[in-house]
This record gives sequence, C-alpha cells and structure tokens, in this order.
Amino acid sequence: MKKIFSILSIAILFVFFSACSDDEVGSSGSTLVLEFDNVVGTSNLVLNTTDQPYTNDHEEAFNVTWLTYYVSNIKLKREDGTIYEDAVKSDGSAGYYLIDEADVESREITLKNIPAGNYTEVTFTIGVDASQVDQGAQTGALDPAKGLFWTWNSGYIFMAIQGTSPACTEEGNEFAYHVGGYKEDPENDNLINNIKTFTLSFKGDSAPVKASHEPQVHIIFDVLKFFKGTGANISFASNAQRHTPKACEDIAGNIEGAFVVDHIHAD
Amino acid sequence: MRFTTVLTLILLVSGCTDDVEPVKNSYAFEMPANFPAPVYTFGNNPVSRAGAELGQMLFYDPVLSLDSSIACANCHQQAVAFSDPVHRFSRGVDDAVGFRNAPAIQNMAFQNNFFWDGGVKHLDFVPINAVTSKIEMAETLDQVVQKLKRSKFYPEKFRSAFQEDQITSQQMLYALSQFMNLMVSANSKYDQYVRKETDLTKEETEGLEIFEAHCRTCHATDLFTDDSFRNNGLDAGFEKDAGRERITEFSGDRGKFKVPSLRNVDLTSPYMHDGRFNTLQQVLDHYSNMVKDSETLDPLLKQGESLGIVLSAEEKVKLIAFLKTLSDETFTHDKRFANPFIK
Repeated sequence: MKKIFSILSIAILFVFFSACSDDEVGSSGSTLVLEFDNVVGTSNLVLNTTDQPYTNDHEEAFNVTWLTYYVSNIKLKREDGTIYEDAVKSDGSAGYYLIDEADVESREITLKNIPAGNYTEVTFTIGVDASQVDQGAQTGALDPAKGLFWTWNSGYIFMAIQGTSPACTEEGNEFAYHVGGYKEDPENDNLINNIKTFTLSFKGDSAPVKASHEPQVHIIFDVLKFFKGTGANISFASNAQRHTPKACEDIAGNIEGAFVVDHIHAD
Repeated sequence: MRFTTVLTLILLVSGCTDDVEPVKNSYAFEMPANFPAPVYTFGNNPVSRAGAELGQMLFYDPVLSLDSSIACANCHQQAVAFSDPVHRFSRGVDDAVGFRNAPAIQNMAFQNNFFWDGGVKHLDFVPINAVTSKIEMAETLDQVVQKLKRSKFYPEKFRSAFQEDQITSQQMLYALSQFMNLMVSANSKYDQYVRKETDLTKEETEGLEIFEAHCRTCHATDLFTDDSFRNNGLDAGFEKDAGRERITEFSGDRGKFKVPSLRNVDLTSPYMHDGRFNTLQQVLDHYSNMVKDSETLDPLLKQGESLGIVLSAEEKVKLIAFLKTLSDETFTHDKRFANPFIK
C-alpha cells in the first residue's frame, strides 16, 4: 500500500514537473488580469445618458460624461508574502495604465509573465509622480497627446470625472473634478500631493496564477463613494469646477475608499 | 562580399570625417566654462544633429498651430534672442491676446523653472503650453502628431532622428528640446572678458562693479538669474496676475515672478512679466524710484523704510553700458538657429 502510494506521488510529481517545464518552454510565465469596473452605487456606469439617472448623497441628480484615471506601480502579493512588481519605465512606456470608461479595452490590465502562486492582495497607485514627470516627455499611457497633461502647471490629471447635474450652477450645469498635483517641497506646505497608493485585499479569496490559468481580479470603482467618503461629501451646488491640486485635495481623500476588489474569476 | 561591405564602410566613415564642420557649428551640446552645470535630462534625450535640425524645422513651422498661422518663431525671434520685439503680449491664433510677455529662449538646458510663474519644470513640456494654449497656437498635441504623420517630409526626418517608424508627441518634444538645448548664448563681450579675450571699457567695468554690488544676488551666476521667484515691487496689488501664487496656491507667493536672465537684455525689450517697460532706463528708474510696497515685496528691495535700490543717474548710465556687454551676436546670428525654410 505504502509502495503504491509513493509510486503514485512520484508519478504526480512527474506530471507537475513536466507541466512546469512545458510552461517554461511555451511562455515564460502566466497571466493575471486586473479588471476595473466603474459603477454608481448598485448601477453600472453608463456614460452620456440623456437623462440624469444617478443621485449623490445630497439628493442631486447627475450623469457622467467622462471618467478616467491612471493606475500604476502595481504590486501583487502572494500567500507566502512574496511580492511581484509590475515594471515601470521612466519614459512611461511600461507600468502606467490609463483606465478610460469610454474605452472598453482600457478597463482590463493584463499582467504577463508573473510567477505562479496564489495571490491575495494588490497594491497600486492612482497618480503620476515626480519620478516620471521630472524625466521629461513621456510616451505610452503617459503620452501628453492623450489629453491628461496639465500644461500651465505641468503634471498629469490622474483622475478626471465630468458630468452634469441640475444642482450645478456652472455653465451648462457641468461639473468637472480634475484631480492632479504631485509636487512636494519641504519649504512649502501649500504644495499638494494628491497621489494615492493603497492596497486592496482579496478578502480571503486568492487568484491562482499557474499554467493555463488566467485569473481575473474584478475591481470596482464606485463613483458614489468617490463623491462621498472620508475626504469630502461632494455637492454639485458649489465649487463644482475643480482644476487645481488644492481644490481637489478633499475629494482625492475619497479615492482609496472608492476602490474595492469585488471578486476573483479563477480562470 | 564581406570585403565590399568593409570597403563601403570605410568610404562612408571617411565621407563623414570630410563633412565635419568647424567646432563653432557643432551639433554637440557645449558646456561654457563660466556656467553652472546643466540640469536637462540629456540621458533620456541627447542632442543629435538630425534631432536638432528636426527641432529647428518644427520651431519655424506654423503646422504646430490650429490654422497653420503661427510658428514658435512668430513670438520668439532670433534677432532679439528669441523674444518678441513687437508685443507686450504676443498674439495667438485669431489674434488672441496673451497676458504675459514672451520670454527669451536661451540657455534652456540650465534652467529648472520655465515661464514667468515656473509652472513648468522640464524643458520638454515648454512647447506643450504654446501649442495647446487657446491664446497661443490653440491646437492639440494629438492633431499636431496627425498632421506631421501626413506630411510629405516629416516622417523621414523623424525616422532619421529617432530610428523609429512612428511619430509620437514624445519625439516631437524631444526634437524641440534638442534644438533649444543647442541655443546656448555664451559669447557676449562679457563672456569674452571673463575668458580674458577682451577688455571692458572703463564705463563698462564700473557698471559691472555697480551690478555686483546691487543686482548680483538675484541675477546670480553667469546665467544672470538665481532661478528664484520674487516680487520686485511693480505693483501694490496683484489682482491682474498673481504670478507664482497661481502655481503654488500659496499667498506668500503672490506677485512673485521668475527672475529673468539678463543675457541679451539690451535686445529683449519690452521688460517685466507684462512688458510694461520699453527701455533699460525705465527698468532702472523703477528700481530706484518706483518700487511699491506689498506683503510679498522682496526684502532686498526694502531696507528699513526706504524702498528700492539707491542708484544715481550716473550709475544708471554705467549699469546700462555694462548690461549691453551681455548681448551675444554670435547667438543671434548662429545659422543653426535660423529659419531653415529660407535658403
């Protein structure tokens, strides 16, 4: 009995090993997908609706015409505590991703060649920091031709949401929150750095990365939580056009709380 | 077969050596001995001849503007150190009026802060402001890239500068930076004096002494700026233009503007962020008699109860004589920076 067991184990081990080496020959690693699903409370977000189907905490109806944000510096943690870091290039050609609600493909970040294992949490940054901006003209997701480069006060808008609300007194009832601001200066406390880096746990679940397995981590960004969180409870009735780092400091405080890992598709 | 290749290579290489131009017209970035170290990220974008020549074309090409009416060179003219000699506020597409005076373009590789309020901290980003501003070229970067891709000659120029088959905004900005990085003004009479190649006149020497005593703190180093932001007492209030405060959102920066370099200063009239003065005499009269107090006035312009800098009429004459030694004709006549579309 014991003998049979050990033979079986060896056989299983063999199968495992050969699977591994096959994998190494076929591709140099496995894939994990981060899917960003933008919602408004319990509703899916639909851009450019003719009506204003959503309501914020102040009972102000609104719609959304534009939602986009930069995700970068992605780190994945395995059960055993080891961390995989997505490589970032200083010219923006790798490691930065522009999630744009209007572009379905942009909402999935496919990370390739990551080591096998069970991943249990993800860390990422919303923002574009000095290590990029100080390097000069960027390319890839950070190409300034993508329209998210702040010219007059250089740096990137790293989260933008626009829409309309009857409560909004700005021209065309239009609100716009352009969150940016990466500068820091020990001699000037007034420079605002709105970059946010945070970790989302898979809440006891795990994403099994292995050969012929492509787990998908389904991340939800809730517009309602972005408007109401620990940083601010936004009303469209005042100060609804915000285009400077300081003006967006409070709403930037809501960013972390608006993201959550909802579930994992194991393959 | 292989032998022919080698032969061709030898021929090519020797062809190149014959082509080398005099040092003065080199396309390598040259570091003047009397300047502080450059700060540009040359590691990402070194200057090459193909890149700088492409930048030169882009600088003089109105294709960068919405209706192909305005080039960088409209408001930055070589004869006056790439400043705008005509307008207090430069004119954009549809005759739109700006709100600040177009600064000179020179010695860009040495600067950490660009524009009067320092909103831009890297040279690569400087052209984006002009291209996309509604009151300047009113175009989008994406549109410019599309137009360049459709052009008869730009794709080839980009390929030879960057060895890639696609045109990106990054390459366009890199080319413009290469061109601007070559724009080093370091051969004025003052530079020749520093290098002990010439003497200053008695009047110029005395002007230099007055300059060292009264102006050098802000117009520091041989770049003639300390790259800081200061309120030089032009106004008592800053409702029209808050200057540096616009960027830092800090009231202590209200009414502060970048200390401009004084290189080629005799050529870069009108003066100040709003071009309010036409002559150097007016500028010096401002510093001696017209400085206005406000909360952020630079402490150097406020000694006890007296405002400004004490300068006699005679001292002003000497100072102006010295300031004129900062004009650099080599720079304003350098063919590498001239309009490439005029042969």
